[in-house]
Amino acid sequence: MSPVLPLMIAWVAAVVLALLDSRRRWVAWLVVAALALVFASSLALLLDVLAHGPRTTVAGGWPMGIGIVFSADALGATFAAVSVGVVLAAVLFEALHGTRSRTFGALALFLTTGLCGLFLTGDVFNFYVFFELAMIAAYSLTTYGQEARQLRAGLVFAVVNLLGSFIFLIGVAGLYRVTGTLTMELVAERVATVDSAATVPIAISLLVAFLVKLGLFPFHFWLPTVYASARPAVAAILGGALANIGAYGLLRFGADILPETLRLGAPVLLVLGIASLLYGSLQAVARRSAPGVLAYSSIGQVGYVIVALAIGGPVGYAAAILYAVVNSLNKALLFLASELRGWLVGLAFAVGALSVAGVPPAAGFLAKLEVLRAGVEQGAVVLGLLVLGSALSFVYMFQIYQHDFWREERSVPAGGRAIGAVTASVAVVVLALGLWPEPLLAVSRRAAAMLAGGAG
Amino acid sequence: MILLLAATVGTLFGSGAYLMLKPDLLRIVAGLVLVSNAAILALLAAALDRGRAPILPLGDGAVSDPVVQALALTGIVIGLAVAALLFVLAYQVYATSETIDLDELSQLETRREQELEQEEVSV
Repeated sequence: MSPVLPLMIAWVAAVVLALLDSRRRWVAWLVVAALALVFASSLALLLDVLAHGPRTTVAGGWPMGIGIVFSADALGATFAAVSVGVVLAAVLFEALHGTRSRTFGALALFLTTGLCGLFLTGDVFNFYVFFELAMIAAYSLTTYGQEARQLRAGLVFAVVNLLGSFIFLIGVAGLYRVTGTLTMELVAERVATVDSAATVPIAISLLVAFLVKLGLFPFHFWLPTVYASARPAVAAILGGALANIGAYGLLRFGADILPETLRLGAPVLLVLGIASLLYGSLQAVARRSAPGVLAYSSIGQVGYVIVALAIGGPVGYAAAILYAVVNSLNKALLFLASELRGWLVGLAFAVGALSVAGVPPAAGFLAKLEVLRAGVEQGAVVLGLLVLGSALSFVYMFQIYQHDFWREERSVPAGGRAIGAVTASVAVVVLALGLWPEPLLAVSRRAAAMLAGGAG
Repeated sequence: MILLLAATVGTLFGSGAYLMLKPDLLRIVAGLVLVSNAAILALLAAALDRGRAPILPLGDGAVSDPVVQALALTGIVIGLAVAALLFVLAYQVYATSETIDLDELSQLETRREQELEQEEVSV
């Protein structure tokens, strides 16, 4: 199966739907149908990659080394399937709610195009192009709703992240300078022989770009405003799908392309990850509104991904992948459920809260377990701080659950039953992954083994 | 030549970063445009070599690297699109908040948050 199939479906659908008005019901459903198709094809691609190994194709039928390479491996295909799934849930949610802007559907599809493209590309510069495509769609989506604070949040989001992506572009220029190629596989091969005096500045610029995207402390300052002002569906897309770019980028560029430099920088990443974890959790405990808590919780939760990445090796990478996937599902679920009420949504939110806190049988338990397993080798201090962060996440999640769902007088009229069902189905996925963890574990270990095995 | 380009990239990036620290949306957007141009110049400088133009390179002699020129073109297009988007966003902020001064905007934000908190307390 060709790795460009999900990308092409999303691209064509986005261009066609850009001409139509998303506020019409049938157009909104067309968007959902197109995304469902993209989701199905990315799942099929994932299964194909798992069964038959990585798939590579060169755009336009050019010989290898001249044309732009698209390649799907276990890591990219997993992230693509999860992110598209999250966007699908958010768009379905918004379609049931009634889309309020003409461009929402097309922007969501362009964002999906960008995400599929960057997860499935094998070319460093192509990664930047799709990355920018996804980000530009995201800047516009943030302003969805057109309220003054959403516009302000959109501007902050755009300015900070654009600075990040230009720094990334300078890093790409550096990589091309030292290796003379843009194909990821060749870059990884040739960069191994380059002096670390040249690779360290390049690695730092790439690292800064991805940490800004992830919203890791101390690059988090834009994140709370943006996540808390955006509408729930958009916040779910930002927190559940777009943040994956940062985690994927760090895994791809750090663990796959620059493994030596990643090892050099591991102590820095470990400290940053733990600082982010504690800062985000403490700030979240102090918040009283669901979007605020969830925004700071995002800052805290990515700390786990970074700590796992810093620990490295097959166990650390597997934990990082697993945590990123589970975290994006958690965030999608919680943001979608945060403004609805009713017993079904309450249950769904509780599942998400349990998952963030790492309580079985939700999938978050598994992810935390893997990170802690990886952390055991790092000694008592790191392990203790990880457990402390985990305990804090339990406190803030239940504070907000109690505050929002147990106080009857504040209950807003529940959204339709169908919207509740959408959130509940995401919750079922989170529960199912916790109860039957083998597939997810196997996928993340496969991808991690590939990363730890060197280039490819 | 490399040193000259490096200095230019540095100056562009530095001036852009300086402008982005100003509390005025238009200056911030202008700063970002400068930073984007610094990145494009860095791309061009990444494969600085002497040679003939890479159009139909027959015969002997070195040919300069065409890849970076393609990259720089893509970078310019993206930079232009992004600048347009930012100007639209800045205009929309002006249309809804009637100011492009960041200090005033953050005051508006704080006021709104206080109102929200009071609502919460009264409930």
